[in-house]
Amino acid sequence: MSVFVDIAPEQTSVEPSPAAPQRRWRHRLRRAVLPLLSVLVFGVLWQLAAASGLWNQTFVPYPSTVWRAFIDVSTTHDGVRGYAGYLLVEHLYMTLRRVFAGVLIGVGVGVLLGLLMGSVPWVRSVLEPWLTFLRALPPLAYFFLLIIWLGIDEAPKITLLALAALPPAAVATTAAVLATPVSLVEAARALGASRAAVIRDVVIPSALPETFTGIRLAVGMAYSAVVAAELFNGLPGVGGLVKDASNYNNTPVVVVGIFCIGVSGLIIDGLLRFVERRSVPWRGKV
Amino acid sequence: MKLKALLAAVAAASLALAGCSVDRQEQSGDKPTIRIGYQSFPSGDLIIKHNGWLEEALPDYNIKWTKFDSGADVNTAFVAKELDFGGLGSSPVARGLSEPLNIPYKVAFILDVSGDNEALVARNGSGIETVADLKGKRVGTPFASTAHYSLLAALDQAGLTPNDVQLIDLQPQAALAAFERGDVDAVYIWLPTLDEARKNGHDIITSRELAEAGKPTLDLAVVSEEFAEAHPDVVDVWRQQQARALDLIHDDPQAAAEAIAAENGLTAEEVAGQLEQMVFLTPDEVASEKWLGADGKPGNLAANLQSASQFLADQNQIPAAAPLEVFEEALYVKGLPGALSR
Repeated sequence: MSVFVDIAPEQTSVEPSPAAPQRRWRHRLRRAVLPLLSVLVFGVLWQLAAASGLWNQTFVPYPSTVWRAFIDVSTTHDGVRGYAGYLLVEHLYMTLRRVFAGVLIGVGVGVLLGLLMGSVPWVRSVLEPWLTFLRALPPLAYFFLLIIWLGIDEAPKITLLALAALPPAAVATTAAVLATPVSLVEAARALGASRAAVIRDVVIPSALPETFTGIRLAVGMAYSAVVAAELFNGLPGVGGLVKDASNYNNTPVVVVGIFCIGVSGLIIDGLLRFVERRSVPWRGKV
Repeated sequence: MKLKALLAAVAAASLALAGCSVDRQEQSGDKPTIRIGYQSFPSGDLIIKHNGWLEEALPDYNIKWTKFDSGADVNTAFVAKELDFGGLGSSPVARGLSEPLNIPYKVAFILDVSGDNEALVARNGSGIETVADLKGKRVGTPFASTAHYSLLAALDQAGLTPNDVQLIDLQPQAALAAFERGDVDAVYIWLPTLDEARKNGHDIITSRELAEAGKPTLDLAVVSEEFAEAHPDVVDVWRQQQARALDLIHDDPQAAAEAIAAENGLTAEEVAGQLEQMVFLTPDEVASEKWLGADGKPGNLAANLQSASQFLADQNQIPAAAPLEVFEEALYVKGLPGALSR
């Protein structure tokens, strides 16, 4: 899942030009039709690639084969329930639960750390190298240690996801806090605000938009670590499903798992953007 | 100006990096290349590789050795037509020869038969003494491996279904960690991790016992059909070297252990201990009716593979088991048994 930062603020009805309604309509059409069209083109190219016979079915299965695999892992058929005894929804539910718990811990701790690091210079000096160190580590590198320390159940998976989510949230929050306009802070101080009041009323509101970007990045990082987190004892779980199916060279199910992770990632990112717009309406307008 | 300097620096760096490959395998462009995929379990492959027997016997070819971590990866490489020879377990071979993979390769040699080197170990104090005691317990094993197959076969033998126990997918190292922490009560894994688990546990059943009961797991060497048709002479030389490696394991286990140890990073003593627990056939046995068989008379190995395929179908990992003929056809018995003697 990638995070696109809205560089251009969305067109709003501020424009007073007479052609505005028509342009807005065209704008909406473009936003709705282009993504659909790209999906359609992708589907056609995929079908052509599969039908060309250039590649083995194991590499490029037909869209229809993948669809059948999707139906198979989503239903009970011939007395077999989904994949490895769980339906796709259940796999997804377990994964989302892990991601949610991991992100909650990681982002919570990360944002707190970021606030602290942004406001207290010596804390920043102490923690920054550690955060950079953690951020540079691929989760797979230390996952085995988590297994030894925390076992094979939920604890190591959630810890891994939290560790993946923490650095982006902390780094973005730190940067956002540091970027608070000095003039605003000084003005508040001049008006007699206490240090706590400055942080509450000036620093946090001005840092929120950046922090939200950090949170979206953090969710993205956690999501991309899902397969790693579910490498051991990952069933039920979409990451575990992908890993298990690839052990058996079961490409259609692998593709179903990948789509499932990707699409749910898109939806989560969309939700986060929605929350962001709602809670930080002043974004891009300060 | 700055951009140009940066571009120049990037270009220089990439050239320098490209030149500094740490690949020490000698390859010269004018000779055809034989691509061999091997794994790090003790086998004739490692002896042949370490002693450079193939390079010596086939001076007109480049030999490219690639290490793989699992049979599934070897299968993938064969599907991608990236390998001519490969070493992998009987379970991945059965899968490769069945629908939907239908990999065009043939079983040309038996590297080893699992003995006491793969076993189900229960933790001391867990109250597990027989396979039947596993009911309701948590058991770790690497899914899709020969150990997984053996575990399911053992459960089946004891009248249990996979649903009666909690099977957990764990690679050997993680299985050992979970075993020592008490997260699982038993593990079905292989050496060298198996010996670590044995320190706190005891064998419940080994692959040797399962082999005697008709459910053997083996490590096999396969050759791609295309390559075998184009270069039967190379396959003959390769089989002779494999036979030579088996002879070495039987006649001079110390030398064999040293060669293997140099390849997989263990000590020679550890490898010697592993070799003792594994079953290595003699070249004559390999070409016998019980295993590969002879030219025109494919051996019983086909039935073993078919049973492994049936097992995968029962596990819903493949749509249906392939018929026996597929596996009989997939045994490369050309020139056997004579072809193995030098």
